[in-house]
Amino acid sequence: MAVKDKLKTDLFPTIWCPGCGIGLIMQQLASVMDDLGLDKTNTVLITGIGCTGRMGAYMNFESVYTLHGRTLPVAEAIKMVRPELNVIVVSGDGDTASIGGNHLLHSIRRNSNITVICNNNEIYGLTGGQAGPTTPKGTTTISSPAGTTYSPVNLQGIVASNPNSFYAKTTVYHQGPMKKAIKEAIQWPGFAFVDVASQCIENNGRRIGFASANDMLQNYRTEYKAAPPGSKHLERHQLGIVKGEPLPVGASAKNGNGSGE
Amino acid sequence: MTKKLVQGNEAVFKGAVKAGATFFAGYPISPSSEILAQASVHAASHPEFRFLQEEDEIASVNAILGGSLAGAKSFTATSGPGFSLMQEAVGYGHKVGIPCVIVNVMRVGPGTGMPTMPGQGDLNQTRYGSTGDYTSIVFYPSTVAECYEYTIHAFNAAEESRSPVILLSDAFLGHLNEVADLDEIDVPVVARTLEPLAKGSTRLFSGVATYPDGEPATADSDEFIRQYYESRDQRQAVAEKYAFYEHGWNKDAETLVIAFGITPRVARPLAPYFALFRPIRIWPTLDKELAEIAPRYKKIIVIEGSDGQYANVVERMLLRRVERVPLLGGRMSIEAITLGLDHIGMLPAGFAVDKTSPVKVG
Repeated sequence: MAVKDKLKTDLFPTIWCPGCGIGLIMQQLASVMDDLGLDKTNTVLITGIGCTGRMGAYMNFESVYTLHGRTLPVAEAIKMVRPELNVIVVSGDGDTASIGGNHLLHSIRRNSNITVICNNNEIYGLTGGQAGPTTPKGTTTISSPAGTTYSPVNLQGIVASNPNSFYAKTTVYHQGPMKKAIKEAIQWPGFAFVDVASQCIENNGRRIGFASANDMLQNYRTEYKAAPPGSKHLERHQLGIVKGEPLPVGASAKNGNGSGE
Repeated sequence: MTKKLVQGNEAVFKGAVKAGATFFAGYPISPSSEILAQASVHAASHPEFRFLQEEDEIASVNAILGGSLAGAKSFTATSGPGFSLMQEAVGYGHKVGIPCVIVNVMRVGPGTGMPTMPGQGDLNQTRYGSTGDYTSIVFYPSTVAECYEYTIHAFNAAEESRSPVILLSDAFLGHLNEVADLDEIDVPVVARTLEPLAKGSTRLFSGVATYPDGEPATADSDEFIRQYYESRDQRQAVAEKYAFYEHGWNKDAETLVIAFGITPRVARPLAPYFALFRPIRIWPTLDKELAEIAPRYKKIIVIEGSDGQYANVVERMLLRRVERVPLLGGRMSIEAITLGLDHIGMLPAGFAVDKTSPVKVG
């Protein structure tokens, strides 16, 4: 098998804008799937509404393109009914942290044994560039002409509310760390969340002063630094993985109220 | 072969298990919560049965869609407000083609309304609740034994139609305890019709208008219309196999009462004076069946726990005016029905109503 076998290349080119970061995530996800032997018989992809949601259509897997914000209930149910499957959620920051925020809280609480890869472009891209839950305070968007009023949601903090969970922060520029984060997340026995900073040049970058997607990537290169080894918490613009206490495999799939305890 | 005292909600759960359900996701809401509780108890001793208490009804309905795709016959139970929260996913289930069953034990709405009082105001919601056009299949039993029987039919119809099928109940019926021998009810079970996830295919299950290869068809009206009529005709054809109704009471009477769910049982003292048409399949409507029966009767009265939701439908089906006895505010009693009949001048001789009664009727 090869990486390209994970992709439905006959459907290329994708609908994503030139310079979009999502393809870089798909490439690394396909690479990890190849390394780990993930295929259409042992893995399903669950995606949400937004540009990121199209990823499932381009991969050689069974894929559920859910309603906006509903990846996690669908994914968790699939994992419960078929615990032998790898269940990988790929969705955007708006889908995950805003309209799907309540499910995020509770899938984390239940330590559902699924992997979430969040394409975090800090904007509602598909709808044209409105401020989202992850948009940095003060950012000018088409729904915040004077700059956003509120601080972004603390994804790391939400994930860390379960001491058995996994949180990684990376960027699409940092391909090595991104691959490591995705691989370890899929292998993590319990809820794993990979927060990938990713550029949206067309509906965010240009409005906030970037001339090109490459400028945004170069910004990731200079702004993001690896967290010191053993960090239990990642500061802003730190790359790294924060792991809780892993629970035995299967503990989160048992009957009852889904509690991992 | 054993007669037992069984509660309506309990019979629904037992029917689901009989139909082969192996996944329940739900959120507590009166008057449906016994179904959730039954599912949790059952799961504890049946490892093949999966149970998830969700954070809300939106999670519940999306979970049963996921559970069904994964391979389990899946269901949830709720009441009007929770069913409102589920509507977007109901439409998604129709679009994608996912078999599952949603039980709606009706109370009085709108809003939080009267949580422990019986109502029948969700009929339109079961037909038109989600965005766009789709073909709902909805059943509404009338006895505890029927709760069991029609739950099995609901799962069967869901498989055949590949859509979310709704089983209606109400606070009265859900909490009613009756002696029933459920073992005597023999409904053949339809096997799963949807290939479970990850058996070698690479399908895309999408709520977006798509071509068969998964590419977006979001601007192709011809393709949309083709797919729409295909699913509408397929579901309508399935529904025809489930054309359940009862035509009874005094069939030779001059007036036909139309009532469903718990209501005809409440109205039972009127049986000598009226014929009864009781639709069990609420949607799609029983146009053909009612068109055969209705012309025999000079007048038609629809007695229902809403302000005319089904009466409006009957007028549309028959293109003739019907009388209405709406039972509002949870007042589903023979006293309210006779007062309502008196109000429209249709009370049979021999029934007296207390004109000074403070009871208000719709």
